[in-house]
Amino acid sequence: MSRPIRAVTPYAALLPMALTVIVAYLGTMAWTLRTSFTASRTFPSDKFIGMTQYERLFDNERWMLSLNNLALYGLLFILACLVIGFLLAVFIDQNVSGEGVLRTVFLYPYAMSFVATGLVWQWLLTPGTGIDGAIASMGFPDFVFDWIVDQDMAIYTIVIATVWQSAGLVMALMLAGLRGIDGDIWKAARLDGIPTWRVYVSIIVPMLWPTVATVFLLLATSVVKLYDAVVAMTQGGPGTASEVPAKFIMDHLFLRSNIGLASAGAIMLLVPVVALLAPYAYARSRSGRERGRA
Amino acid sequence: MMAQTALSTPAVHVPAAARPRRRHFTPARIGIYVFLFGAALFFLMPLYVMIVTSLKGMDEIRAGSILALPGAWTVEPWRQAWSEVCTGASCEGIRGGFWNSVRITLPSTILPILIGAINGYALSFWRPRGANLLFGVLLAGAFIPVQVMIYPLVRLLAGAGIFGSLPAIVLVHLVFGMPVMTLLFRNYYASLPQELFHAARIDGGGFWRIFLHVVLPLSTPIIVVAAIMQVTGVWNDYILGLVFAGRDNLPMTVQLNNVINTTTGTRLYNVNMAATILTALVPLALYFFSGRWFVRGIAAGAVKG
Amino acid sequence: MYTAPKFKRQTLALACACAALFVGTEALAAGAAAAANAPRAGAPRAEVIHWWTSGGESAAVKQVAQAYRAAGGVWVDTAIAGGDQSRAVTVNRIVGGNPPTAAQFNTSKQFFDIIEQGMLNNVDDVARAQNWDKLLPEPIVSVIKVDGHYYAVPLNIHMQTWIWYSKAAFQKAGIAKEPASVPEFFAALDKLKAAGIVPLAHGGQAWQETILFSAMLANLGGKDLYLKVLRERDPKAIASPAFRNVLLAYKRLQSYVDARSPGRNWNDATAMLISGKAGMQIMGDWAKGEFTAAKQVPEQQFGCIAGLAPNAPYLMQGDVFVFPKTRNAQAVQAQKLLASVVVAPNTQLAFSKLKGSVPVRTDVDASQADACAQKGIAIMKDRSRHLGVSEVYLTPDQNGALQDVLTAYWNTNMTVEKAQKNIAAALSE
Repeated sequence: MSRPIRAVTPYAALLPMALTVIVAYLGTMAWTLRTSFTASRTFPSDKFIGMTQYERLFDNERWMLSLNNLALYGLLFILACLVIGFLLAVFIDQNVSGEGVLRTVFLYPYAMSFVATGLVWQWLLTPGTGIDGAIASMGFPDFVFDWIVDQDMAIYTIVIATVWQSAGLVMALMLAGLRGIDGDIWKAARLDGIPTWRVYVSIIVPMLWPTVATVFLLLATSVVKLYDAVVAMTQGGPGTASEVPAKFIMDHLFLRSNIGLASAGAIMLLVPVVALLAPYAYARSRSGRERGRA
Repeated sequence: MMAQTALSTPAVHVPAAARPRRRHFTPARIGIYVFLFGAALFFLMPLYVMIVTSLKGMDEIRAGSILALPGAWTVEPWRQAWSEVCTGASCEGIRGGFWNSVRITLPSTILPILIGAINGYALSFWRPRGANLLFGVLLAGAFIPVQVMIYPLVRLLAGAGIFGSLPAIVLVHLVFGMPVMTLLFRNYYASLPQELFHAARIDGGGFWRIFLHVVLPLSTPIIVVAAIMQVTGVWNDYILGLVFAGRDNLPMTVQLNNVINTTTGTRLYNVNMAATILTALVPLALYFFSGRWFVRGIAAGAVKG
Repeated sequence: MYTAPKFKRQTLALACACAALFVGTEALAAGAAAAANAPRAGAPRAEVIHWWTSGGESAAVKQVAQAYRAAGGVWVDTAIAGGDQSRAVTVNRIVGGNPPTAAQFNTSKQFFDIIEQGMLNNVDDVARAQNWDKLLPEPIVSVIKVDGHYYAVPLNIHMQTWIWYSKAAFQKAGIAKEPASVPEFFAALDKLKAAGIVPLAHGGQAWQETILFSAMLANLGGKDLYLKVLRERDPKAIASPAFRNVLLAYKRLQSYVDARSPGRNWNDATAMLISGKAGMQIMGDWAKGEFTAAKQVPEQQFGCIAGLAPNAPYLMQGDVFVFPKTRNAQAVQAQKLLASVVVAPNTQLAFSKLKGSVPVRTDVDASQADACAQKGIAIMKDRSRHLGVSEVYLTPDQNGALQDVLTAYWNTNMTVEKAQKNIAAALSE
């Protein structure tokens, strides 16, 4: 192939991505930014009011609480999914019998619409008629699990239900990563007499780093976009105790016909994401360039 | 580095014989089974409640405990969910949207996977200038809640004249699926050895040739994961199909939501559960049957050198 | 150079064949759909977006569809559960240039922005011909009539704050007669509590808490205070001792609900009444559907109290159809036909009977309605008792902000003074 054609082809192949990014994503971000400076209600308006929407946002107790909840939730959710997903993947990878069944058992929650499964979790976690009722009747009459009706603990019930939903996918991704590791590693490790757990900790986990990075990013996106689970399980309650930013934004977009405030919320949600992603992207592009030269 | 030389051959999953085999019951092995069994119990509990609820009559549900087995078994809820329950003025169950969901899901899976693979390939092997910046913005876009983007997209698609049609919803799924798909493929390809790529270029391969003959065949595990994620996401999608697909293409989730989410009407919990399980059967089938691709690694005959 | 193994090529070929087959069937389907949707000359075709998806609601909207068909029209049903989702689709379709012929909204200010943008057709002809100003209650007219034009046709009236009670529970607690004043109401709650029954069945969701508040404001505060707070949004009224008492009474209700109420759906709370586990519930008249489904009859197993004073306000909410702007002559004709069908007495009766609401017109024959609906229709004849729910007077944003304060006050240790302050702030824009 002649050089000019080869040089252009990667750019041409990336055209759909470029179009999507510029038109759909950047375009939308710009529109959202613009709307956040206006007094838009059901429809975008041209009445610019400066930073008023942002002031309203930070005066709003519900919004501040939702940010707090998101941070708590995000930390626990990502940690739990990573650990549980990894353990499940490692254990399934050990030539256990019934691997196909086990894999489906851990993955099926991901297939179900959370509208219904969220309701089931609400039932399960309702004090008295849920699991704690069953445990109480089994001989522990004082056992009460009332997190879901508790102002301070409601957000943790959402962690439980969403970990249930997503850990299987993390397991699947980790499993793909694990199975992609060369079998020669194991042979060499056995020859060297290294105990299995040590192989995992010192060799396998570092090699899984790209997979972990992928999983982390995926989980992070679902943390920021957390909405269905909260609506299905607690509706943001009791009161506004389990409110999350995405629900705040959605409520103001549709229910309260206040797209100005919703846009301000969306931009505020995006700012920390960009702040975290930019150094990550920069670091990766640098290491990528170094690898390329190797 | 030891790891690098060990990877001079592309990642091939060596058949089970070479992996540490322990068929005898060491405490570690028992521990593994105990953990897996316990985890399985936790994961299966909601499914148990759903199935049991879907086989009870409403009086039992109103009066009884959620964990109890049905006193009087009935499959009425299932029949109702499929063909009888009201989803509006028409009372024909959720089956109406089934083919719509299929027609939306097929192109909305194949296209994003294809483009995600091409993007990931270009980003990790060819690295054209500015591509990483584009990718960074794409990734940031993945964090925006979908509903925020609906209004601008409606205006865009209306301007292009295709709002409310199958191409519109496929395009929308492509837009929203691209970040994750690209991420999956890019990180996966980044873990493949660069020597493979260099060797192919030395052999005279061009962009598409290398993609089709070298990279794609090695992508089976990640294609399966991508398919699982995209099929699930598109099949279970509600709000995008609702807004963009047009009245004649409304997916099954709209009917499902109509059954479950009534505001001031009576709720038939047993029918809701049956309907949810019915709707989930397609992604579930995919998970189940993907087993043979999933992780058995790359196909026999993958390149060595 | 690496060449793909045979099975990979086969898979690719299979995929291409599937794709071709797929595209082919798509083309056929599109052609068929186009043929099917070719406009039939003459029959006015109305595509209606609504959120009535449950069994009872479906049966009710079918009545309207049948009446429309009987009048010569074609009804195309687009049901989308969830009020806010349904309205979001309506707005997006209007913006996207593909509006439905008619769309459901609540009797509220939800569609005022759409009117402002000039995106709705009016139905002045039908309204003037049938004298809606005289026929319909004032709260409804205030919402559908903007700048002298009528932009929506009302379908029904729901009363938001009926007090339902289980006869069995009352008997067990020794309550001989229905409470007819606020003190008697609280006394009855105390008696139920003493008898070991959950006094007030409640679902801990923001909108349900707002219903409890509205009940206290209407019954304890009275019509004047209600309008001063919610319609005029008078800061003095909100800071007044009378309003303070209303808030305290609202919070007092919390001591009568059980600990598992947070997040509970309203129909699960009604189930507590049906099984006799709870004594009373304050809920709209759609709750009748639950009782009926459990085969209970009004005045036999359960009772309904409209208000806690002889002339307690009747809090009205309801549903309307709006008509997105279109110049298509056929669509306009369909809209006008639909508007006149909806207000017709027969349609009103048939719809409300199945929906659990009462008709919007006061000149209908109430003999077919059940005991509770008849009570409602009788009260409706007294215009001085007509009052709208909060969303009739407040914009969706103000209403939402009010709900936020009410649910926070209910669920936390907020002082009543702070609640008053926050409500004033919420209603100030």
